[in-house]
Amino acid sequence: MTDRRRINGPPSGTRPAVFASSLKSTSGAVIERPRRHRQPNELRKIFLKTGLIPSASGSAYLEYEPSASLAAARSSPKSLIPPSSALKLACTVHGPKPLPRSATFSPNLVLTTHVKYAPFAARQRKGHIRDASERDLGVHLETALRGVIVAERWPKSGLDITITILEAEDDRWWGDAPDSHDAPWGMMNVLAGCITAASAAIADARIDCLDLVAGGVAAIVSDDEVTEEGKRTPKLMLDTDPAEHKSILSACVVAYMPARDEITEIWLKGDHSKASLGVDDSSLNHEALIDGAVNAARGAHTVLVEAVRESAERYAGLT
Amino acid sequence: MASPAPPAPPPALTLPPSQFARLQPHAYLLAHLSPPASSNQLSIRANGRAPSQFRPTSANTGSLTHTNGSAVVRVGDTTAVCGVRAELLPTTDIASWSVSHASASSSSSSSSSSPAAPKSNSSSNSADAEESQIQDLNLLVPNLSLSTGCAPGFVPGAPPSALAQSLSYQILALLHSTRLVRAEDLRVWYEGPSFTGEEGGRMDVDVDVDAEGERDENSAATKKEIKAFWVLYIDIMIVSLAGNPFDAAWAAVLAALRDTKLPRAWWDVDNEMVVCSDVVSEARKLTLRGLPVASSFCVFEADAAAGWRAVIVPDADEEREIEDTAKRGMLRRWILADPDGYEEGLSQERVCLVVDKEVVGGEGKTVIVKMEKNGGWAVDSRELKQLLDVAAARWESLKQILEQC
Repeated sequence: MTDRRRINGPPSGTRPAVFASSLKSTSGAVIERPRRHRQPNELRKIFLKTGLIPSASGSAYLEYEPSASLAAARSSPKSLIPPSSALKLACTVHGPKPLPRSATFSPNLVLTTHVKYAPFAARQRKGHIRDASERDLGVHLETALRGVIVAERWPKSGLDITITILEAEDDRWWGDAPDSHDAPWGMMNVLAGCITAASAAIADARIDCLDLVAGGVAAIVSDDEVTEEGKRTPKLMLDTDPAEHKSILSACVVAYMPARDEITEIWLKGDHSKASLGVDDSSLNHEALIDGAVNAARGAHTVLVEAVRESAERYAGLT
Repeated sequence: MASPAPPAPPPALTLPPSQFARLQPHAYLLAHLSPPASSNQLSIRANGRAPSQFRPTSANTGSLTHTNGSAVVRVGDTTAVCGVRAELLPTTDIASWSVSHASASSSSSSSSSSPAAPKSNSSSNSADAEESQIQDLNLLVPNLSLSTGCAPGFVPGAPPSALAQSLSYQILALLHSTRLVRAEDLRVWYEGPSFTGEEGGRMDVDVDVDAEGERDENSAATKKEIKAFWVLYIDIMIVSLAGNPFDAAWAAVLAALRDTKLPRAWWDVDNEMVVCSDVVSEARKLTLRGLPVASSFCVFEADAAAGWRAVIVPDADEEREIEDTAKRGMLRRWILADPDGYEEGLSQERVCLVVDKEVVGGEGKTVIVKMEKNGGWAVDSRELKQLLDVAAARWESLKQILEQC
């Protein structure tokens, strides 16, 4: 079935390029997995700016600082294969606007969220039509935001939140076999970024919220370092870049409101109960993981506050 | 203070400019463009630009990680992000390849002994046949997306609107008609071993590259064939839309293609597939033909109902009258360059010019690549000539912007 509304490529389809270095990695120089240079509780820097899209009632653009390996690859490129990637997304808010006539009566603001990857966002080309994972991200984002917006102030109105992901996080390091740890860990980072950006855009649209909600990710990872007992020690890390870790056991993303100390959305994935049989078991249970994600969200919140203050100053300067 | 001020009009009737602009858009723009003759002001648009002034443009390339080439172009408040992804189309996947190739190979082997050699000596007829491969095999796949929340009217998640489809198609047509991308850049060649005995090392890829000069001499003996084509997926996301999406999208495509690097690819006999090298120094940039730059204009008429007039060719008297008033300094219509969303909504007539410049004997010659005009009769051949000069000036400024990024 061809999409007749778009320009399609060759009817037989095309194949992504296969690089020789990935075919004979055993013989040649072994390509290094990018390493995490940050402390376990150190977040990547976040660039967040509001109001870049004037035709929308509120907008925000979010970008993560490239990891050390990616920054090195950018400044002195050697290989065409990027070692990792850095999240870049644009969020627009349209509304509050009247609901279409056909819609049923709603005493509250009707929130719709759309998350779409650009075709060039990920290592694999994405389709033009939203797939299940993108719809899933939209639903997660909606639950995260619904608890924040004071919805009863806008009866019979709708609010459209659209997120375009220009560059996504990797799900795993590209050199790993695709089935080694098959959970899409990159999605969790993307969701955290979506929540933070959407929160800034909603504030930029001057829609009443209970608090600025921020997204944060924490994960329990087990890397190559092996202790003297021959066991791998899993560690709790904040704001993990999946490309930098050999195996992520479990990860958690939260949408957190610091002023009220409330979580509006929690998404925990993976099972680390078997791996974390070490001595300090209590430091690696689910609660620690959620606390880690909350701490990451607190970090993102400081950036969010700055961006929203900038937006408010811009608004005050105009009027 | 001594003389009593005249009674102020009731506050309910005063409107801030922004509200007046919304309520009476036509009168608002007209008032800006035709200042009272006594004030001695130049006519200026509501956004503060002169009629033939373009919005400030900026471009940034190569910031997206997972693309072969990418660009962000901002024209005022319109932002277009373009990413070029290259994928391979093996000739074994092309259904009609074995048939068409048999006829094409005879001409290609005679006319182009080496893929790197310039095509100047080959006849234009065979060059056209070579270039038509891009069109026949759909090697360029541009798609423009407006459903990014760029403007309130576009529903995200819906299929592409008529505007998005039209823009995608216009970009595709312009890519084909300008022949911007060379077909030779998109081919992956394979030179089979000639089995003459002395060429044992020919199978080895590194030797093959070093022996470029030697290969040309023996090319008659070896059989060269195309094993695959690169297909360029050119995806344009209009992140923010404030009028004139085509100029911004085309500038983004141009900047992204200029940034595009294709990895060195060769046919791997053992794996029976095309394999690429990831070494940056071996990747090569596309060699584009020229630099076509798009400039769009719209015509604003003082008569708000001009678009609703009965469709008749204006008689000579009326035209003369308009010209006479123009001589007296009262313009009745304005041609606005690079319209923003507000002005686009107030005009019916559009002009789009795509020009390129060729250097002939030391001086630049403007070449019209595409000329499109619809929606009215205000722009005549005389106005088009003036617009061509404006477009040529725009070409210079955009060239500078693209070369800096």
